[in-house]
Amino acid sequence: MAGSNEVNVSESKTVVPLNTWVLISNFKVTYNLLRRPDGSFDRHLAEFFDRKVPANASPVNGVVSFDIVLDRLSHLLARVYRPAPDLADGELPQKALLSELQKPPSPNPFPVIIFFHGGSFAHSSSNSSIYDSLCRRFVTLCGGAVVISINYRRSPEFRYPCAYDDGWTALKWASSEPWLRSGKDAKLRVFLAGDSSGGNIAHHVAVRAVESGTHISGNILVNPLFGGNRRTESELKLDGKYFVVLKERDWYWKAFLPEGADRDHPACNPFGPNGVKLDGLPFPRSLLVVASLDPTQEWQLAYADGLKNAGHEVRLIYREKATIGFYLLPNTNHHHEVMEEIKDFVKSNLIVSTNAAD
Amino acid sequence: MGESSYGHGSDDAKSEIDSLLAGVGYSIRPSDLRQVAERLEKLDSAMIAAAAAGLPPEFLCSDAVHYNPSDLAAWIESMAMLTDFSPDHFRPTNPAPASWTGDICPPAPGPPHPVANPKPPEDAGISLVHLLMSCADSIHRGDRPSASTLIHEMQLLLPRVGTAFGIGKVAGYFIDALDRRLRSRPLPQEDDILYHYYYESSPYLKFAHFTANQAILEAFNGCDRVHVIDLSLMHGLQWPALIQALALRPGGPPLFRLTGIGPPEGREALCEVGRRLSELARSVGVPFTFRGVVAAHLDEVRLSLLRVESCETLAVNSVLQFHRLLADPGSPGPINSLLSWLRRLRPRIVTVVEQEADHNRPVFLDRFTEALFYYSTVFDSLETAGGGRPAEVYLHREICNIVCCEGEERLERHEPLASWRTRFSQAGLWPVHLGSDAFRQASMLLTLFSGEGYGVEEVDGCLALGWHGRAIISASAWHAGDDMDAPPSTGSILFNGFRESVAGESSGSNREIELGSQTEHSL
Repeated sequence: MAGSNEVNVSESKTVVPLNTWVLISNFKVTYNLLRRPDGSFDRHLAEFFDRKVPANASPVNGVVSFDIVLDRLSHLLARVYRPAPDLADGELPQKALLSELQKPPSPNPFPVIIFFHGGSFAHSSSNSSIYDSLCRRFVTLCGGAVVISINYRRSPEFRYPCAYDDGWTALKWASSEPWLRSGKDAKLRVFLAGDSSGGNIAHHVAVRAVESGTHISGNILVNPLFGGNRRTESELKLDGKYFVVLKERDWYWKAFLPEGADRDHPACNPFGPNGVKLDGLPFPRSLLVVASLDPTQEWQLAYADGLKNAGHEVRLIYREKATIGFYLLPNTNHHHEVMEEIKDFVKSNLIVSTNAAD
Repeated sequence: MGESSYGHGSDDAKSEIDSLLAGVGYSIRPSDLRQVAERLEKLDSAMIAAAAAGLPPEFLCSDAVHYNPSDLAAWIESMAMLTDFSPDHFRPTNPAPASWTGDICPPAPGPPHPVANPKPPEDAGISLVHLLMSCADSIHRGDRPSASTLIHEMQLLLPRVGTAFGIGKVAGYFIDALDRRLRSRPLPQEDDILYHYYYESSPYLKFAHFTANQAILEAFNGCDRVHVIDLSLMHGLQWPALIQALALRPGGPPLFRLTGIGPPEGREALCEVGRRLSELARSVGVPFTFRGVVAAHLDEVRLSLLRVESCETLAVNSVLQFHRLLADPGSPGPINSLLSWLRRLRPRIVTVVEQEADHNRPVFLDRFTEALFYYSTVFDSLETAGGGRPAEVYLHREICNIVCCEGEERLERHEPLASWRTRFSQAGLWPVHLGSDAFRQASMLLTLFSGEGYGVEEVDGCLALGWHGRAIISASAWHAGDDMDAPPSTGSILFNGFRESVAGESSGSNREIELGSQTEHSL
């Protein structure tokens, strides 16, 4: 390597594959060009950089996708992924009609995963290529799931609680679609899932759901975005070492939270000083994935503790030597093993005994 | 630097590009990964150093124009040249305004209501789609009686679905088109006023003109004599903006020649448009000449009539024209001779706008299905932008051409950008990438429209405007690849006063009309 100009010696190169490193670093540097110190955001350039992919009603690896308007007034869109419809013998796969696609993928119970993409509330969309790939994987992974990726409103143009409202709208929409129900009891077996800010949204939508009596089969949070005013030891130790920079985290919270709020706002710190008590609510079981090289991990661990203290089940997967974004490319054990965990979690929570003994 | 601890999750160096990164939209060879990684690290360090020196990182290059973000190696190289990655190298600039562009998708057959009303008859909508497909299938199989019955059924069903929005709106036009095909009824008439409505009420044509003009302006940078050939002048709506932009150019406007091509029956209209553009050019001080050329078919235009001069920089502009020269897939079609004469002109830039659709499929049913989805999306977008019926009626002509016509009569042979790319490269035309400034300006143009569902996307250096995630129209730029640096010759140029002449042609297929501006200009 040529003579060092490094101000910051990054240790991240030793723990991730080269192509993953390039992918995440590219996000990091291009994102640097988008955030402005006055809190505004270069949305045009952001959309220019974002690699997008269209929906595809022709099967690719057995999965089809289509875009759908969940709410015309607010232009809330989502991309739905599902197994390709079964073919009659001899039929060639072809682009399916919307009417064919909005039928149950199976006569047996199937999971519906409402997915909230990451991006620190400001970046990415449901048609971003990285998330399109991920959602397609989920369909097959979970035995023929329907995955609905929500194109929620992003900050700084739309602050708290817009993203949560959009998540709630999505959940209500899913609840009103007959084709998403399955099993003898014709139930919607819905999981809320998300990475980064998406994980944060999944939590808050789940709270709203259980407060209004909507049943959620499970929550899947991967590197969810939580924080607080206090600087934790991990934040100080890992700042800037593995793609994540505290100052940048601060910027995103400032862009999302209400003007004048600090990071102990319950959106950011759900079990902090301003948190809401979840005791006694039928909060869903959670699968929580934490990367040991994520500076914000202590907030995620505190989240797990908060859930447990309120009497709720959490399956915590703590990945040693994993950085953020490991799940984007299928080239590490972290990726493969976490995918297996997600698969098992969905499977074991798909059919819940009617016994309320748990 | 711990080289041995780099994992390799990608294919080995023998393969073209890293397949995992390709799967998420990036194109990079495994052999380039290391260098790109080093440069990314340097750029990151430079940004951090800038911050440490008191300047926010994005000031490093906030007025940079970015191209083709999928090509990581090229992008990081452009950043390297721009920033030198040296901590002393900062250029603070004015931050550009931020604006939201929404994402997109095609309409569901039965639109869900946001208020707690009972849901509209979605089943009727879905039934209608089934009937449309069945009818198209009957026609495809030559079963006229069934098709006729189905048309009747659909006409009965239509009021139940409602033609106010969603599938009902576009279904009505498709039912009419199927009926015209079945009963050999004539096609709807062309109407200038409808074209104007369509232009005004949706961003598609404006995006087309705007983006093409941006590319032309950039290509004309530093050139004193410029010539634009517009393959279909129509009402000349694209050119006032370019004339004004040239007037405001730092260093002053060039000599601007515009050659507009139009159909023989529109000779007078062509003159009139040229006259008005000359007036405008005079009023803003741009030395301007207009020449009109009439031709029944583009591939028949004789190069000599275009009077392209070697000292001028040439741009050729085609908005929704190329597809009219295609034939059935597999057959050559007049497009090849057009592209060949285009290439011989050696233009600095060829701007191309085309519908992003696959309407040239040979099998009727496929074509019909594609068109149904495409125009559903377009009509949906028009409704939100307050487009209303005139714009729809304008598009109805296109729909009828696709559904009813065959052979030479079928002109609306839209093909996707990917097909055009192949065709152009076979004809010796190479892409000129549209960058983030064109993207940004197109995006900002969209914010003027009420429908939040519009979005611009960049794909491989081309821009596409779409609605709800579905690309509707694409804009791209190309060049002939050689001889780009012919220096302009100097000399005195005199413009006569306003004159009109018609150069007769015995074959009758080509005429020219020349109009000059009244500005006298000499070098």
